[in-house]
Amino acid sequence: MALTIRGVTRTFPGQGRAVPTLALQPTDLDVAPGEFVSILGPSGCGKSTLLRIVAGLDRPTGGSVSLDGRVVTGPGPERGMVFQSYTLFPWLTVRQNIEFGLRERKLPEAEIREISEKFIGRTGLRGFENHWPRQLSGGMQQRTALARALANDPAVLLLDEPFGALDHQTRELMQELLLEVWAADSESARKTVLFVTHDIDEAIFLANRVLVMSARPGRVKAELPVPLPYPRDWTVKTTPVFAELKARLMAEIREEVRKAALA
Amino acid sequence: MGLILGGDAELWQVILLSLRVSGTAAAVAFVVGLPLAALLVMSNFRGRDLLLLLSNAALGLPPVVVGLVCYLLLSRSGLLGGLGWLFRPAGMVLAQTLLALPIVVALSSRALAPFWAEYRDVLLIDGAGFRQSLLELARMARPPLLTVFLAAFGRAIAEVGAILIVGGNIRGETRTMTTAIALETQKGDLPLALALGGLLLLMCLGVSTVTLLLDRRA
Repeated sequence: MALTIRGVTRTFPGQGRAVPTLALQPTDLDVAPGEFVSILGPSGCGKSTLLRIVAGLDRPTGGSVSLDGRVVTGPGPERGMVFQSYTLFPWLTVRQNIEFGLRERKLPEAEIREISEKFIGRTGLRGFENHWPRQLSGGMQQRTALARALANDPAVLLLDEPFGALDHQTRELMQELLLEVWAADSESARKTVLFVTHDIDEAIFLANRVLVMSARPGRVKAELPVPLPYPRDWTVKTTPVFAELKARLMAEIREEVRKAALA
Repeated sequence: MGLILGGDAELWQVILLSLRVSGTAAAVAFVVGLPLAALLVMSNFRGRDLLLLLSNAALGLPPVVVGLVCYLLLSRSGLLGGLGWLFRPAGMVLAQTLLALPIVVALSSRALAPFWAEYRDVLLIDGAGFRQSLLELARMARPPLLTVFLAAFGRAIAEVGAILIVGGNIRGETRTMTTAIALETQKGDLPLALALGGLLLLMCLGVSTVTLLLDRRA
């Protein structure tokens, strides 16, 4: 599914007498079907705001988001999302969490079970199906959140720093897992992914294309294609191409972080 | 005292009517008020703050005034006169439901709000509609909602003004614990009034205990 963002801005009204905050400057973006785009930026740059607008959880102050030409006005089944905080339902088991959206859509019980089985397998949750979220580590909880988003089979997957709260090793494992799951579909059936992060390695490792956002008020200030073929594993992080991309992105990001710190 | 300990049939009737009327009123207020509270919490329509303010202000609704309004509504020439609920338990249920409703709306919205703030995004992304979202929120907020129910029941079982006017304190028909206490006090039978008062306290204790035990088992 193709994603088109045209002139999207977001201003948060000031509370009481406070001045309204411009979080997002007019932003244009085109994402082709099956493309994996990372959005990189310092914290508070409006990258999550942009993602929430695409998800339909927030309304833009100006501009519009459309999917295959249809303007987004709210959340919809063609978009799935994974958040940074573990937003699993605490009273449902891993399997029931994964099946939640499918139940909402009133699919037949056998089909629900078949789908949840598939993603329990793909996300490495086998053996944990009947655990409660509180019994799981952060990494396992995010596997569940990912499986829950994938189970609904959205054409567009929105990921808001999904591995941001995980330790470094777990995070790297999860990145490989995500790519594996994404690449499991044939090239023409792949999901369109927007991945928000402030981790440069993560942004490069996952994406076809990395966007750099400026400090608040955010705008897309740079765009770098990542000419590394899929499937990728951790070894690409040691290649010269990767190192060169990383150096360029670090330069871009450092400038913005400095601006944000001075602001 | 002998009357109370002896399990006199008339006394039992009074006790059961009190429980039935106030229990029904609290249950109806809960079933109507909880979705209203959820609507207030989950939507962002104009006038939402006004409704919240009204439900909070109505926490102090004087029972006699509610009784009077219900009396006028239910009297033969009133809007609901055709129901024939005046001086009947049904009319008392209506009056107490109106008294308990603001408690349910005001307190439930407080109980649901933090869970909505936390789970709004996930519920919306997963495509949960109003009914499902309400169900999930209520499930998470069960302990505070239980307290809301008990507060609503407490408001109903404790009041005398509304049911006195609407029910009329008719012996064997609409006499409840509180109206009986008021009557005995006026007649000067203070020991009996006191004993009934003690019994009423025990009833409230009993209802709380049973509710909390049910919750623990679930």
